[in-house]
Amino acid sequence: MNQLTRRGFLGLAGTAGAAGLTACAGTGSPGTGGGGSGSSNTIEFWSNHPGNSKTVEQQIITAFQKENPDLTVKLVDAGKNYEEVAQKFNAALAGGQQPDVIVVSDVTWFNFALNKQLTPLDELLASAGVDTGDYVDALYNDYTFDDGHFALPYSRSTPLFYYNKDLWQKAGLEDRGPKDWDEFKEWSEALKGAVGSDRFALELADGSNYLDWYFQNMAWGYGGAYSQEWTPTFSDPGTVKAGRFLQDLAKSGVVKFNATPEADFSAGLAACILQSTGSLGGISKDATFEVGTAFLPGTDNCPTGGAGVAVPASISDERKANAVKFAEFLTNAQNTVTFTQATGYMPVRKSAVELPEEVSYLEENPNAKTAIDQLPHTRSQDNARVLLPGGGARIGKALDQVAQGQDVAAVFAALDAESQQVFDNQIKSKL
Amino acid sequence: MQPTSLDTGAAQGERTGPPAPVGPPPRRSSGRAWEWSLAALLLAPNLVLLVVFTYRPLVDNIRLSFTDWNISAPVANPVGVANYVEWFGRADTRTVLGNTLIFTVATVGISMALGLGLAMLLDQRLRGRNLVRSAVFAPFVISGAAIGVAFQFVFDPSFGLVRDLLARIGVESPDFYQRSGWALFMVTFTYIWKNLGYTFVIYLAALQGRRADLDEAAEIDGASPWAHFRRVLLPQLRPTTFFLSITVLLSSVQVFDIINVMTRGGPVGNGTTTLVYQVYQETFVNQRAGYGATVATVMFLLLLIVTIVQVRVMDRGQRA
Repeated sequence: MNQLTRRGFLGLAGTAGAAGLTACAGTGSPGTGGGGSGSSNTIEFWSNHPGNSKTVEQQIITAFQKENPDLTVKLVDAGKNYEEVAQKFNAALAGGQQPDVIVVSDVTWFNFALNKQLTPLDELLASAGVDTGDYVDALYNDYTFDDGHFALPYSRSTPLFYYNKDLWQKAGLEDRGPKDWDEFKEWSEALKGAVGSDRFALELADGSNYLDWYFQNMAWGYGGAYSQEWTPTFSDPGTVKAGRFLQDLAKSGVVKFNATPEADFSAGLAACILQSTGSLGGISKDATFEVGTAFLPGTDNCPTGGAGVAVPASISDERKANAVKFAEFLTNAQNTVTFTQATGYMPVRKSAVELPEEVSYLEENPNAKTAIDQLPHTRSQDNARVLLPGGGARIGKALDQVAQGQDVAAVFAALDAESQQVFDNQIKSKL
Repeated sequence: MQPTSLDTGAAQGERTGPPAPVGPPPRRSSGRAWEWSLAALLLAPNLVLLVVFTYRPLVDNIRLSFTDWNISAPVANPVGVANYVEWFGRADTRTVLGNTLIFTVATVGISMALGLGLAMLLDQRLRGRNLVRSAVFAPFVISGAAIGVAFQFVFDPSFGLVRDLLARIGVESPDFYQRSGWALFMVTFTYIWKNLGYTFVIYLAALQGRRADLDEAAEIDGASPWAHFRRVLLPQLRPTTFFLSITVLLSSVQVFDIINVMTRGGPVGNGTTTLVYQVYQETFVNQRAGYGATVATVMFLLLLIVTIVQVRVMDRGQRA
């Protein structure tokens, strides 16, 4: 240690600094991909195993290989969430071997489609004789761009209204969710009394944990929206009204924002929460009270969410055909039932809910049925959240500011300007 | 004395040109060539790796910082210095720089001070010191992501350990996840806890290698503990302190895992966003890899400047 010289340290610093920069240097350079040299008989499926589904995914793969003995499916751990899968795919686009089938979320698929990195599936599905009319329309059409469909719905979810039935009874409320947010506001004092001090009538995820997804319901409920097509509408009176409503709930101590509201809810620290249908399994297991589920407040105001499966654009036609074959199998009526019963996600096929095993499952699990009954009342999300790069994070940050008491109109006006700038700089010229 | 061949030639007048090299020089020349070849052979594998995996991406990153590359796009269009102009003009730049500065200064200063204190304590002959040494070092080898998950529960304002401890003295727990200042405190504390083992073990090694005769001389001269620490111990630890100040600084500026797991750079968007986290957000969340490369390049230059200043200061100190 004593012999370290100035030159030595400069060398060390240079190397370490360079290493730091290298660590930050993204995943490579643009456009040298080319699809890699994957075997046409091996289908590589990149997944984050949504809803801890690795076992059930492997089970479906085994069934597929049994039906197609000439094909092998390799299940690859591509990340712990949708964003990590997208990052890995971006790395592959810069020169690595590409997958055949990849999980893409409601937020990640569009940028790949826009940059022509995903295959439009329509012709391939037609060639394979797939009846796309059996997919739930709202879920299938979420992946539409330029008159093509770029993914098949897979692990699809919506938010649900979860409530603690014991506290509901204690507050003297009917065993149901609120009709709209105004009714919830009326109930809130009774709920605060029932849940007790230091606890909250409602908990919501904060801006870093998808508050922007749940708040869409509130914005629509008050006649607002994040955008109309590509035009940001955060400053519209309805959206601003929803923002003020959220702020009032925070100021009056009705709502608490938290990274993991489902944990507080399961521990009895919150009377109700908005959470994904994908959390149903965990909440039902952890909660020590009877859990109720209901539609989100309002009428036809529930955003869709979750992920689908897509096929890269630059792999060979033979690989694409095999990939579509597997993607269809993964999401067929039987397998969507298997998958959703294991995870809590929603069946993506219309015919799935008529299968005997699903009928009996829903009879035994009425909370799971709420999600399916809500499906016809869902609505595709606004472009400003799911199609603009960084939309969710941008809106989440603004909602954090609103929750902390900043002027709603000013925050939303800035959000309008920022969203418009992103559209102009990154999307407009590619449409 | 036996005449050398040169002496002989000169005496006989047979040589017209410069004397031919004789004796050791030819052996030295071939020996040096051999040494160079051996050095090149031994260094080559590392140099190749360094060039391919460190310096090539570095240059590539600087090149990309002048483009508008969307990370999923097959092409990147040159935009000149527009990304740099944008970064210097953006409202969030000051917040991100401030977060980086606070996080770095706090982690470097506190983890080094605590590491030195612990090293001095556990350098004593105490019962069970090996066990405590291992316990102090253990967090350093645990993954940052795992520590982040564990500390999420420690700081949870509803049922966390901190809330419980504060409740015992009648203090309400701050909401670490919703208030920017507290969130920054939370990730800084967590990183210091993880990194303490590193500064501790380096200081401990330095303490154990110090000159015992100086300690004895100080004792004989009746130096007070403070004078002993300041006049005898600290000067001997100067190179170690310098080494740590650079390595801890570099690793602190690059902390990503703990921030990503605990706060995702929030609350309120940039509450705990540091430069390296901004690189990630711009590149992978906002898809602007060109702009992300710009932030990375700025970070690299800032680090280089800080390190050069540190070296200069150290150099001056040594001369003084």
